[in-house]
Amino acid sequence: MRVSLSTLRILVLLGVFIATVLFFASQIDGYMNARLFNRISGSVAVIALIAVGQAFVVLTRNIDLSIGSVVGCTAYFTGGILMAWPDLPPVLVPVLAMAIGAAFGAFNGFLVARFRLPSIIVTLATLAIFRSILVQSSDGSSITTDRLPAWLTEFATMNAFTVGDLQVRWIVVISLLVVLTAHVFLTRFRAGRTFYAIGSNPDAAAFAGLNAARTIFLAFVISGALAGLAGFLFLSRFGNITVVAGLGLELKSVGAVVVGGVNIFGGSGNVLGVLIGAALIDLIDTSLVRWALVSEFWREAVLGLLILLAVAADTVLMRRLLRRKGGAA
Amino acid sequence: MPPVLEMRNISKSFGGTAALSGFSLVLKPGRIHALVGENGAGKSTLIKTMTGIHQPDSGEILVDGQPVTLRGTAAAQRAGIAAIYQEPMVFPDLSVAENIFISHQNRPQLIDWSALNDEAAAMVARLGVTLDPTRSAAELTLAEQQTVEIARAISLNVRVLIMDEPSASLSEHEVQRLFGIARSLRDQGVAVLYISHRLEEIFALADTVTVMRDGQHISTRPVDQVTQASMIAEMVGRDMAGRFARAPSKTTGEVLLKVSDLSRNGVFRNVSFTVNKGEILCFSGLVGARRTDVALALFGVAPADGGRVELAGKTVTITSPAQAKALGIAYVSEDRRKLGLALTEGITPNLTLPMLPKYSGPFGWLDRVRELADAQAFRDRLNIKAANLTVPVGTLSGGNQQKVMLAKWLNTRPRLLIVDEPTRGIDVGAKAEVHQILRSLAAEGVAIIIISSDLPEVLSLADRIIVMREGRIVGEFKGEEATDEAVMHLAVAAEVA
Amino acid sequence: MTWMRSWEGFLFLVLVLIYALNAWTSPVFLTVGNQINMVQLSVEKIIVALVMTFVIINGEIDLSVASVMGLAACAFGWMVQAGVPGGWAIVIALGIGLACGAFNALFIVGFGIPSLVVTLATMIAFRGFARVLVEDRGISGFPDWFNALGQRGLVGPVPLAIIMFAVLAVLAFLILQRTAFGRKVYFIGANRAVAEYSGLDVRSVKIRIFIASGTVSALAGIMFAARVGAIRGDIAQGFELDIITMVLLGGVSIFGGAGTMSGTILAILIVLALRNGMALQNITGHIQTGVLGVLLILSVMVPIIRETGSRLLARVR
Repeated sequence: MRVSLSTLRILVLLGVFIATVLFFASQIDGYMNARLFNRISGSVAVIALIAVGQAFVVLTRNIDLSIGSVVGCTAYFTGGILMAWPDLPPVLVPVLAMAIGAAFGAFNGFLVARFRLPSIIVTLATLAIFRSILVQSSDGSSITTDRLPAWLTEFATMNAFTVGDLQVRWIVVISLLVVLTAHVFLTRFRAGRTFYAIGSNPDAAAFAGLNAARTIFLAFVISGALAGLAGFLFLSRFGNITVVAGLGLELKSVGAVVVGGVNIFGGSGNVLGVLIGAALIDLIDTSLVRWALVSEFWREAVLGLLILLAVAADTVLMRRLLRRKGGAA
Repeated sequence: MPPVLEMRNISKSFGGTAALSGFSLVLKPGRIHALVGENGAGKSTLIKTMTGIHQPDSGEILVDGQPVTLRGTAAAQRAGIAAIYQEPMVFPDLSVAENIFISHQNRPQLIDWSALNDEAAAMVARLGVTLDPTRSAAELTLAEQQTVEIARAISLNVRVLIMDEPSASLSEHEVQRLFGIARSLRDQGVAVLYISHRLEEIFALADTVTVMRDGQHISTRPVDQVTQASMIAEMVGRDMAGRFARAPSKTTGEVLLKVSDLSRNGVFRNVSFTVNKGEILCFSGLVGARRTDVALALFGVAPADGGRVELAGKTVTITSPAQAKALGIAYVSEDRRKLGLALTEGITPNLTLPMLPKYSGPFGWLDRVRELADAQAFRDRLNIKAANLTVPVGTLSGGNQQKVMLAKWLNTRPRLLIVDEPTRGIDVGAKAEVHQILRSLAAEGVAIIIISSDLPEVLSLADRIIVMREGRIVGEFKGEEATDEAVMHLAVAAEVA
Repeated sequence: MTWMRSWEGFLFLVLVLIYALNAWTSPVFLTVGNQINMVQLSVEKIIVALVMTFVIINGEIDLSVASVMGLAACAFGWMVQAGVPGGWAIVIALGIGLACGAFNALFIVGFGIPSLVVTLATMIAFRGFARVLVEDRGISGFPDWFNALGQRGLVGPVPLAIIMFAVLAVLAFLILQRTAFGRKVYFIGANRAVAEYSGLDVRSVKIRIFIASGTVSALAGIMFAARVGAIRGDIAQGFELDIITMVLLGGVSIFGGAGTMSGTILAILIVLALRNGMALQNITGHIQTGVLGVLLILSVMVPIIRETGSRLLARVR
C-alpha cells in the first residue's frame, strides 16, 4: 500500500522522537524511568493544547503570537473568579476558562478576518496588549495557591489511571482527548477540511464558494479557547500566577506545529504530528537540563534551529517534488 | 430542445472600452458549442460574465428561460454553470476526492471517506478516466488536475460547462482524452462551451461554432457549414480601409541579431531568425505560441537552454536582465501593471530606474536635477500627458503609461528594442503615436522586435513577420506581401497551407 | 505622494499634541535633562528602527533584531569577562551581528523562505545563543570609558546617544531618499518583478539590508550594555514590538514600497514622548507596551481607516 506524505511525516517524527530518547538514555544515567514520563507528560499536556490551537491558525496561512499572553490572562482571570466564588462547580471552571480564551481569540480573529490585517502584526500587538491587561489586573491582587480551592491544585496531580509506575494524570487524558477530537474534526468533518482548503489555495477556495473570513475567525477562536483550557491546566499545575505566566509559550507552540509537520504556509499538516512535535520539544527541554555535557541553556537555541531546519527542509523538499513533477508534465 | 443558458444582448465595458457589446449566445443541452475569436475579442469577459465574476452592464442572462443574476462563482455553480481554465483551480494539499466534493454544501458534516472515495471514483469514471481518488492534487499532472475540475463541476450537476483553452498546455494524448471527456459530457446532456485557438479541434469536437470579434457576435453556424478559411475570414474580417498606412523599410541590411536554434526545454525549440539594424520584425501568433518566452530568453529573464545568440557578430550568452541591458537589449513588457512599472512611484523614478548608475555620483548620490531634465525631455519627445512628473504612474491613462515604459527603455539607448504588445488596451490616438515612435526609432537605426496579437498593427508596422505556433516558428512573410488571412492560417492551423 | 506628505503632517500634529499634553501634566517633561534622558533611554530602539525602515520598505521584515541586540551585548560581556580588551570585544560583537544578518539573508535570499518565518526562528535561536553564553548570570564591570559612552555627556551634556540618533537619522534619511540604493529599496518593495525586469540586483540589495540590520542591531545591543553597565540573557527582549511600531506608525506599508524616513523619525519621537509621558505618570512598562500594541494595530489599519473615511466623505458629497 502507498504511504501518504502525511503518514510518512509522522513516521519520520516518531523515529526522531525515539532516537532522541535513546540518545539521551545513552548519555544520562537512570534516564529511562517513570519520573521522566510523569514529568514530561504533564508539561506536554499543556503545550500540546496550545500547539493544536496554533495548528488550526497555521493551517489557514496565519499565525497566532498572542497565545502565551492568552494562557497567562485566562489562568489569572480563572483564578480570580475562583477566589471570588470558590464554590463554583468544578466542571464549570474549565468551560469558563475556554470562554475567556475564546474571547481573546475572537478579538484577534475579528481584526485578521474582517480587515484582512496581517496576522503576524495583529498578534504581535495583542501579545503585548493582552499581557498588559494581565499586568493591569494583577496590580491589586495576585493569585496564590493558598487562596484557591483545594480541588484545583490537587487536580493537576490526580491520576486517571496508572500502569505500573507510570502515572497517567487527568490533565494528560484531557489533553489527549482534545488532540483526538481535533484530529477527528480535521480529518473527518467537512468543516474541518475547510481549514485545509483555505490555506491550500485561497483563490480556489473563493471560487468554490468557501467562506474564508469565517473559517479564519473560527481558527483564532479555537486557538484562543484551547489556550484558555491550557491556562486552566497552568493554574492547576502552578497555583501561583504572576505577570510572566505563559511568557514565551507562543514560540513553543509555533515550534511544535512546524516541527510536527504542519506547513507554515498553510494547507497541510496533522495534529497527531503536532502532538509528537510538542512532545519532542519538551523532551529536549527536559533532557538538556539533566545532560551534563551541554548546558540546559541550549534549549532556546536548539528550538530556534529546529524550527529553521524543519521549515528549510520542508521548503527544499517540496520544491524538489514540484520540480520533478514539472519535469514529468 | 429548449436552451439551458441564454445570453441576451450582453454589454460590458471597462473604463470606457467596450469588451462586450450586445453579445448574444444560446447554449443547448447535449451540444458542444465552440467559440472562436482573436485575442482580445472579448472571450474572457464573456466567460467571466457567465460565471458571475463580472456583472453585465446591460442585457439578460437566462437559465432554463428564467432571468437570473449571478453574483460570484458559487452562485453561478448553483445555477448550473461552471468553467475550467488552462490553469486548473485545485487544492494541491487535498485529495482528488476532496477536490471534487469541496463545494458540496449539502453533504453531511461527517465525512464517510470510503463512500466519498467510491463516489469520486465513479464520478471520474463517468468521464471515462481512472484516477486514484486518494492521491493529493499536487501529485497530478495538469491534465489530471483538469479532469478533477471537470469532475467537480459535473458532481454539482452543472449543466453548462465552459472549457477555456483547456488543451493549450496538454500533450496530444491528453488532448484526445479531454475530447473523450467532452463527448461523454455531451452524451450525458451537458451543454459544453468549448473555447480554443486550435481550429482543427473545433472540427473534431464541436456541433456548433460561434465567431466573435471586437466584443460582438459575428456568426453562429453548424460546424459542417463552416471551413477554417471562412472562420478565419470572420475572425479577422475588418474594414481594410481602416488599416494604417505602411511606411517603407528603413533597414540598412546590416544584421544586428542572429538567433540560431534557440530552445528552452518544454517551452520553445529551434527558433532561428535575424533582425537588421533599422528593421521592424514582428512576431505574430496566438496566446500560448510562446513568443513572449523567446523574448524573455533574449532578455535573460528565463534564459534559453540551447542554441546560439549573436549580437553584432559576437556570440553572447544572456543570463540576466542586467546583462541584456548592458548589451543594449531592452524589453518592454506586455504587462504594464505587474512587470513594467511600479504604479505607486512617480514618473521620473520609474523612467530612470534601469539607468540609476548614470545619475549616481559618489556614494550613489542621485543627481535629481539631471533625472528630472531627462524625464522632461522624454515627456516632450513622446508627448506624455501628465499633470507633473511626480504623480504616481498608476494615475496615468494606459497610453501614457505605455509611453513612460517606452521612455524608460529608450533612456537605456538600446540597439535592440523588444516591445511586447505595444498598444494593448490603449486608445486609438495613443496607438498611432506609439506606432510613430517605433517607426522613427527604426529610422534611427534601432533594431526592433514587436510581439503583437493585433494583426492590423503587425501588417502596418512590420518589415518582416514571423509566425509562431506552439513554441516553433511556422512561417515568415515580407511585410508588404502579408495578408491577415495568410498570417492567421499559419497561426491557427497546420494542415491548411 | 501627496497623502504621504499629509500623513507626516498628521504625525507632526500628533507629536505636538503629545508634547503639549505631557508638558501640561508634568513640569519635568520639557526640561533639557528629561528630553536628553528620553532619547538616551531608547537610543537602541531608535537606531534599529531606522534600519527596519529599509527592511520593511523593501517588502521584508526582521523579527530577530532584538535577539541580535541581546546576543551582541551578551557576547560583548562574555568577552570582557574573559579578558578580551573592550575595543576588540566591540569589533567582534559587531562581527557577530553581521554574521547573524548574513545567516538570515542566506535562508531568505538563498533558499527563498519568507523573512517572516526565518526571522521568527532566528529570533528564538539568537536569543538562545545569548543564553548559552551568559546562562542566568548578569555580567558587569565593563571598562569605565565604555560605561561613560552610554551614561555621561560626550560633548558637554550631550551624550553619545543623542549624537548617534542625529547622525544616523540624517544618514538613513540621505541613503533612503537621496541615493541610488534607496531608490532600489523602494522599487524592490513596490514591485519586485519590475525591479528584476529593470535589471536591478535585487538579491544583493536584500542581502545588504539584512546584513545592515544585523550589524546595526549589534551596535544597538552594545550601546544598551554601555548604558546599563551590565548585561543579562534577556537584555532587549521584546524590543521588536517598539521598533516595528515606530516604523509602521511612521507610514511605512507592511507590504513594502511606501513610506519615508521622515515619517519613521516623527513616529520615533511620538513613541518616545508617549512612553516618557506615561513613565512620568508612573505607568508601568508592561502597560506602556500594551498601549504601543494598540498603536501598532491602529497603524496597520491606517489604509483601511483612510479608505473608509474617504468613502464616507464621498457619500456626504
